[in-house]
Amino acid sequence: MTYQVTVEPTGDLVEVEEGQTILDACLRQGVWLPFACGHGTCGTCKVQVLEGDADVGDASPFALMDMERDEGKLLACCARPECDLVIEADIDVDPDFLGYPIEDFQATVASIEDLSPTIKGIRFELDHPIQFQAGQYINLHLPGVDGARAFSIANKPSENGIVELHVRRVPEGAGTGYIHEQLREGDTLPMSGPYGQFFVRKSAPEDLIFIAGGSGLSSPQSMVLDLLEQGDVRKITLLQGARNLSELYNRELFEQLAEEHQNFSYVPALDAPLEEDHWQGFSGYVHEAAISHFGGQFAGHKAYLCGPPPMIDAAITALMQGRLFERDIYMERFLTAADGAEGTVKSALFKKI
Amino acid sequence: MSTRKLSLKDKYRILTRDLEWEYSYRDYREIFKQEAFEGIKITDWSKWEDPFRLTMDAYWKYQAEKEKKLYAIFDAFAQNNGQQNVTDARYVNAIKLFLTGVSPLEYQAYNGFAHVGRQFGGVGARVACQMQSLDELRHVQTQIHAMSHYNKFFDGFQDFTHMHDRVWYLSVPKSFFDDARSAGPFEFMVAIGFSFEYVLTNLLFVPFMSGAAYNGDMATVTFGFSAQSDEARHMTLGLEIIKFLLEQHPDNVPVVQRWINKWLWRGTRVLTLVAMMMDYMLPNKVMSWKESFEVYFEEAASALFKDLARYGIEMPRYAETAILEKEHVSHQAWSIFYNYTHAAAFHTWMPDDKEMDWLSEKYPDTFDKYYRARFEHWRELERAGERYYNPTLPMLCQTCQIPMGFTEMDNPTLTAYRQSVYQGERYNFCSDGCKDIFDHEPEKYVQAWLPVHQIFQGNCGGPDIEDVLGDYYRINLGVDNMDFHGSPDEARWNAWHNLQPAEDKLKQAS
Repeated sequence: MTYQVTVEPTGDLVEVEEGQTILDACLRQGVWLPFACGHGTCGTCKVQVLEGDADVGDASPFALMDMERDEGKLLACCARPECDLVIEADIDVDPDFLGYPIEDFQATVASIEDLSPTIKGIRFELDHPIQFQAGQYINLHLPGVDGARAFSIANKPSENGIVELHVRRVPEGAGTGYIHEQLREGDTLPMSGPYGQFFVRKSAPEDLIFIAGGSGLSSPQSMVLDLLEQGDVRKITLLQGARNLSELYNRELFEQLAEEHQNFSYVPALDAPLEEDHWQGFSGYVHEAAISHFGGQFAGHKAYLCGPPPMIDAAITALMQGRLFERDIYMERFLTAADGAEGTVKSALFKKI
Repeated sequence: MSTRKLSLKDKYRILTRDLEWEYSYRDYREIFKQEAFEGIKITDWSKWEDPFRLTMDAYWKYQAEKEKKLYAIFDAFAQNNGQQNVTDARYVNAIKLFLTGVSPLEYQAYNGFAHVGRQFGGVGARVACQMQSLDELRHVQTQIHAMSHYNKFFDGFQDFTHMHDRVWYLSVPKSFFDDARSAGPFEFMVAIGFSFEYVLTNLLFVPFMSGAAYNGDMATVTFGFSAQSDEARHMTLGLEIIKFLLEQHPDNVPVVQRWINKWLWRGTRVLTLVAMMMDYMLPNKVMSWKESFEVYFEEAASALFKDLARYGIEMPRYAETAILEKEHVSHQAWSIFYNYTHAAAFHTWMPDDKEMDWLSEKYPDTFDKYYRARFEHWRELERAGERYYNPTLPMLCQTCQIPMGFTEMDNPTLTAYRQSVYQGERYNFCSDGCKDIFDHEPEKYVQAWLPVHQIFQGNCGGPDIEDVLGDYYRINLGVDNMDFHGSPDEARWNAWHNLQPAEDKLKQAS
């Protein structure tokens, strides 16, 4: 049994397992709430229930007082939902978040393309147009696969009749296995979206750095296409990491964009180039390419990271050592069903990292 | 258009940061004189992110509600004669240690935060510090009120503020806070706001509070919960200060690293008192000191320092030593206090067989090997009517002021002993950590008020040690001090519960 918890004012949706605390579910699903002690004595994670009921759990009577219980307050670290909930937390809505409504779509496969030996590009035609912000994702429901699978949208928002996804084959993954082996042109699947808080902070004046790894190119591709289409004049740098040349997809697209736009630079990096690749570009991990390209100095930028967790982790460290900090770093971690199970102790130092 | 309620964020801004004004006729550096001298570089106070959004109006409302609840429980505890329902009278000695050693630190914290709450150029930081200073004042008051009930029935509580300023072992926590308060405002924040309130607070509070819960002390449990509900703000303030300093300027990183090294070592030394309390003073044990050190320091700190590594901050320099010492410090500290119980305002005792076995089980690598034989020997002496009291005065570490009883971790039978010479004088230390702290700022630590030196210099009355203990420390000799067995505390407890004195039991057993 799982319950759906909507976190206002951002509208994030979190699935909470039976017996799981709201805070645990939020943190595991990338929705940050303020917290400190984690066991009901400090009150940092206090939230207001707007709809629904929950068990307050072992909240200390001093951290959650009777009058607050009467007002429908909870401590997220020990509260467990008893039905679907809407809660309001002390978090900020980003002024650049446009809050497009989440809708259901019927999505028909228009084309399937091999982008690389492990990544397929799927284009869906939608039954009605979708409004989304570049960087957001959709949920796709696949026949015979439990639960929805999340994929970032790779096309730009102005192409609102289609959705392009980049799907890497996860070894033994049920969802990506279906897409790689059974999905055919003409198939129609239920899709919902847009979701997520990964989008370009357009009101921020800083130059932009995009760091992408593997099929994590999808969101940055959408973001870069969108910015260039709108004639954005800030300096935009896209760093794309892949293992070898055959895995480095859409390279021609970005090389051409770099020729056409003075403010756009493209830096591909291969960490394990093959001999036959005759690779002349940067050899090494994509975060190392970033350090090399920017001379290790990142202050004054906004950075957007998208890819597998180890890449994100290495990139954050590189950026912070180059004096770019949490408030200027945005990320989308590509987790698979196998990720996120490890129960490591998390410090409260960072909100999003 | 309907009027919208202000968001928490806007409300907080208007009631705090919005109270700031432009300094038009005085120089900034003149107003905030202490902001620059520590070598910390602040480039932009506007990057300070408020660690919590509690406004003054809501603060009073919440705190009043907490007090109502808390004092209702104090009243119930008193009316129920709660002092008779603790596990046994030995437990109350843990509370004596808390009132004389820890509660005055809350008062020092109040002073310290009120002071730095004036010194920062950023209004967000000033408001947060002032708010914390109010919390600390509330904590010291509620703790005194909670423990005043025990003062009616047990010895050793009566002169806790006087004793805190004078008694030898209380100079350990007192000098820790004096050190922090006489540092600059940023060092104070790293020392107290971050190292103590964030990294070490669980190691101090959880043992005392769960110790109270396991030993029937409802009043102490309740003030613990009441205080913990304020700690959220303190912990988030500690985190914000560290992030803020590290992000403001790369030159701050080595300064902050040195402070973290220093204050986590100073903190673990002070927590030695908690270690022995957990392992020896609680009749009903919660967990061993070693176990709580593993959960609340090793696990929590490794997650924290993994994150701090992104800023270039490393594990505190003496963490490895502190981790090795978790096997030893409680036994060594209890030995020191057992030796000097005639000079303390609380009682000690030797663990009974069941307690010794518990220690063997919890410390399989060290207790039987290094400590059991000594403790059994002392117990034999006591049975023979020759309870051992050490007649000399111990040498103290110049930095932490603890008697030099800690040992080398590669040879736990050898007392650790370090020295430095400064301006022709020799100074002694219990550890590399304490020596390095001295060597970095010898001009500060040569001024330390070391209780044993002060006694020998004649500054604590005398001439005999009884005069010092009775007149200068105000210990009621033969009442507050000496072994628990044979103490008036024990006699009263036995009378309440129609119990046989322990002495008689011992005689029967032998």
